[in-house]
Amino acid sequence: MLVTAAQQAILFWQNLYNNGDLSMLDTPSDPVITLRDIHLTLGEGASQVHVLRGISLDVQKGTSVGVVGPSGSGKSTLLMVMAGLERVDSGGVLLAGEDFSKLDEDGLAAFRGRNIGIVFQSFHLIPNMTALENVAVPLELAGDVKAFEKATRELQAVGLGERLTHYPAQMSGGEQQRVAMARALAPDPKIIVADEPTGNLDDETGAQIAELLFAKQRERGTTLVLVTHDPSLASQCDVTLRVRAGEVESAAKSSTRKSSNGKKSAA
Amino acid sequence: MTVATSSAAVPTSAVTDVQPANFSLAVRFALRELRGGLTGFYVFLACIALGVAAISGVNSVARSITSGIAQEGKLLLGGDIAFRTVHRQVSGAERAWIGSQGQMSEAATMRAMARLPDGSDQSLIELKAVDSQWPLEGKLQTEPATAFDEESVVVDPVLLSRLELKIGQSIKIGSAELKIAGTIEDEPDRVSEGIAFGPKVIMSVAALEKTKLVQPGSLINWTTRLNLAEDSDANLNQVIDQAKEKFPDAGWRIRSRVNAAPSLTRNVERFSQFLTLVGLTALIVGGVGVANAVRAFLDTKSHVIASFKSLGAPASFVFSVYLIQILLLALVGIALGLIVGALLPVIAKTVLADILPVGNAAVFHPVALLTAIAYGLLTALAFALWPLGQARDIPATALFRNAARDDAPWPRKIYVIATAIVVLLLVSLAIFQAGDKRIALTFVGGIAASFVLLRGVSMAIQWLARRYPQVRSTPLRLAIGNIHRPGALTPSVVLSLGLGLALLVALALIDGNLRNQISSNIPEKAPDFFFVDIQSSEFEPFKTALSELAPQGEVQTLPMLRGRIVSINDVPSAEIKPKEGGRWVLRGDRGITYSTELPPNATLEAGTWWDADHIGENLLSFTAEEADEVGVKVGDVIVVNVLGRKISARVVNLRNVEWQSMSMNFVMVFSPNTFAGAPHAHLATLRVGEKTSIGGEETAVQVKRDGEILKSVTTNFPTVTTVRVRDALNAVNGLISQLATAIRAAALLALAASILVLGGALAAGNRARIHDAVVLKTLGATRRTLISAFVIEYTILGLATALFALLAGGLASWFVVNGIMGFKFTLMPEVAMITVLAALVFTVGFGLVGTWRVLGQKAAPVLREL
Repeated sequence: MLVTAAQQAILFWQNLYNNGDLSMLDTPSDPVITLRDIHLTLGEGASQVHVLRGISLDVQKGTSVGVVGPSGSGKSTLLMVMAGLERVDSGGVLLAGEDFSKLDEDGLAAFRGRNIGIVFQSFHLIPNMTALENVAVPLELAGDVKAFEKATRELQAVGLGERLTHYPAQMSGGEQQRVAMARALAPDPKIIVADEPTGNLDDETGAQIAELLFAKQRERGTTLVLVTHDPSLASQCDVTLRVRAGEVESAAKSSTRKSSNGKKSAA
Repeated sequence: MTVATSSAAVPTSAVTDVQPANFSLAVRFALRELRGGLTGFYVFLACIALGVAAISGVNSVARSITSGIAQEGKLLLGGDIAFRTVHRQVSGAERAWIGSQGQMSEAATMRAMARLPDGSDQSLIELKAVDSQWPLEGKLQTEPATAFDEESVVVDPVLLSRLELKIGQSIKIGSAELKIAGTIEDEPDRVSEGIAFGPKVIMSVAALEKTKLVQPGSLINWTTRLNLAEDSDANLNQVIDQAKEKFPDAGWRIRSRVNAAPSLTRNVERFSQFLTLVGLTALIVGGVGVANAVRAFLDTKSHVIASFKSLGAPASFVFSVYLIQILLLALVGIALGLIVGALLPVIAKTVLADILPVGNAAVFHPVALLTAIAYGLLTALAFALWPLGQARDIPATALFRNAARDDAPWPRKIYVIATAIVVLLLVSLAIFQAGDKRIALTFVGGIAASFVLLRGVSMAIQWLARRYPQVRSTPLRLAIGNIHRPGALTPSVVLSLGLGLALLVALALIDGNLRNQISSNIPEKAPDFFFVDIQSSEFEPFKTALSELAPQGEVQTLPMLRGRIVSINDVPSAEIKPKEGGRWVLRGDRGITYSTELPPNATLEAGTWWDADHIGENLLSFTAEEADEVGVKVGDVIVVNVLGRKISARVVNLRNVEWQSMSMNFVMVFSPNTFAGAPHAHLATLRVGEKTSIGGEETAVQVKRDGEILKSVTTNFPTVTTVRVRDALNAVNGLISQLATAIRAAALLALAASILVLGGALAAGNRARIHDAVVLKTLGATRRTLISAFVIEYTILGLATALFALLAGGLASWFVVNGIMGFKFTLMPEVAMITVLAALVFTVGFGLVGTWRVLGQKAAPVLREL
């Protein structure tokens, strides 16, 4: 059993680094997200859909990646894979240096709690908890004794120091999304994934949120993967990844900005 | 080169480098989650509270009564030990021995007639004649507090109002005229005596002698009570053993203070077990409501659960958070139920104080309350673990896609096992707690079969709906679609409605059958009067008098003796193990008779009847049903003790009789030679004429006619006791009607539970339907179309469920009426149908009201959420 697992792990690493023709790395530095020929099929029987069809890519530490594509192209599913929420049928996935295919469900949850912060289009705050409690949840789950102090600081950092005891229903959409962002940032994750973070907000608030998101990402050197329909939001990312029919159609470096550490990223 | 590693091939061992979030954190999260309030949980709370209240209340009241009987045993029995003899007082030797053990008192009880001195009115009475020592325990309380002597009596106030008498006036009993010294307020040993057919009259033994009611063969019971000089339990048992040993042929029934009112205790226990089962059924019906509520609650929480998971919560933690919430809510429901249940004995104490010995009984019964808590918790768990186990597996990706929860897979094995263990505990508790394991097992089997069958019914309905050809009518098409589409209400509505309706049908049929016993149990051929204790000397004049009083009447007479079975084929009766129903045949004295010919209404089952002029060996005819129960066959030799003489007779035939015909029936009929020359009394029946009744009530003409017969017989034959069949039945009917009232209360409980559950199921469904209704409305469906679709859907579901309810309820009521209560079961289709229809209209109407509200929803706010 152990031997088999070890053999498989070795095979995996060999495949990973000898896989020259599929590697899109242009700098052999420090990828935080590595995908190798991943395939994913959802549904059963007649409703089966081959959602991801052999995607390979590397995302460097501190890079921001905008994933764009038409509805049903598989971009949200790709995001879920990169957030450690969805397992692939075949192919290799390395997140923050860990092969999470080896983790069981609970190990995966704990892994996410430590390494990945998620921002949703519809915020998904827990309605019966205050802003402070919402932000403290991942820290409490990780057993952090200073959960509430850290959560307070995070909320102050997104400008909500005065709204600690408010419940989600008592806050505006923009405020809720800022709480969600504080919650995603609180455990100091290596990767932040955001699914249409401005999709439920008006243009002005959306722009503020986007600005805050990029500011925090740069400030902490976190890797950001962002799914969006909004071309202007995508253009603010270091790299724009265009997905169509479960495959990466193109990957382009954004002209408008560079990643905080100056490294070029590729996909 | 492609990366070939597939996640499916990698063993997903539990590689967790983080301690699972701990219990106190789960409690904290659960409490935060509960801030949302109880919305959606009122049905849950009510279901649990209702069941727990019923079970704890019924058991507490029953324990109050039985512990009251046990505590007050000595008072109720009127002493430490009571020796009951039929026909005769204890003999000199017996009296001397009993007297040597402590203080003793003798009392006689019999039925007799009390009449006004001018003969204008009369009443059947329960006569009790006591010696000067009586009562050994407690105190007879009278108003005024005057003692009675050999010229006077104290009477039940009811007799005064019935005969329009006042204290100080006189009544005639037998041959004596006695003054009424006062009315009885409290009689200490009343509960240990049987059913009363008439008001009580207490007199002295000396007064009884004056009445001349005591004649050979009179139906009279003597009770000799003993207060032990040394009243330890050891001595109590020793004295009882000695009594049995010293006087093996005494033929007395010995009761001790430990078992003062055995039949009352037995009845209370039996009835409380029945009500506990009804309560448990209500709880299980409520359990369906619990499951619906938990499922609906978790559905609304699926995003929160997914959020927790995306933030790093392990699945077991999520399970704990929601299990803690459900348990906390269950505890709230249980607490509410316990408050009601604990208050019931307090209320019962005040209500029942006059008729049952609950005056000093404890009202707080921890065991009854703990049992109810256990039932409540186990039911909540049994129905909540499954959906909780399913919710545990809601993936974090549910935040991105709307995962349909309708076809939620089975939960992990551990939750299936946990549910099975909880169900097993629930079943064990029900069986352990039941007095009659057979009934409990049948109950459990019935419930289990109902769940399986109802699941089958809902699957069948959905299967049929899926295959039903396209129809033109829009509402019908919508209704059929609603029945089978994913997430349909069909399974939950069929289950909750099915269980509730079946319980209601069962209770309605039991109630109907009990009431049937009351109204229809005067058969057309039944006599109107029984005349008891007709002495041989007055037998002929009595017959003549009856034929003059009722020229059209049918008179039947039989000699009447009392005797008890000593042995069958030399096996002493104490060693015979009769079947369940036949114990009474061997117990104490039974009426026996002799006859030259086969009694009317009887048919021979086996053997032959004797010749009218048979002499020689004593022959005996036994009733076939009882013979089977006791194990008597043609050819057996039975020894009976009649008036102290042992008489042996051979069984030559078995006879079928109709006990329900209410005519004179005896288990044992002897050949006339057996009792030649023995002193005995006669029993007679009179059927005055054709019975006409209006709505089950007798007509004024009959009342007048019966009154005249009663008056004439009582005046001319003062020692003959006349029992009007209708009056005797009214006494029994009174008891049955109390039973039926309790069953109606149980039915109300069942109705409440099913309405709650169905209301809950429909409300949960309504949330899902708002969406559909709104979409259909935007697409042009009118409210009328939509409501028609709902009416059709509910009607189809209701009718299919009703069919099941009729079958299951009918079967259950047959089992209860026939198997437990021992009455003849009559299927009353109209009662069952009306119950089902009324319940359907009520419950479905209830559902439609909610639906109408749903249809009133404005489209825009819902659409914005889409």
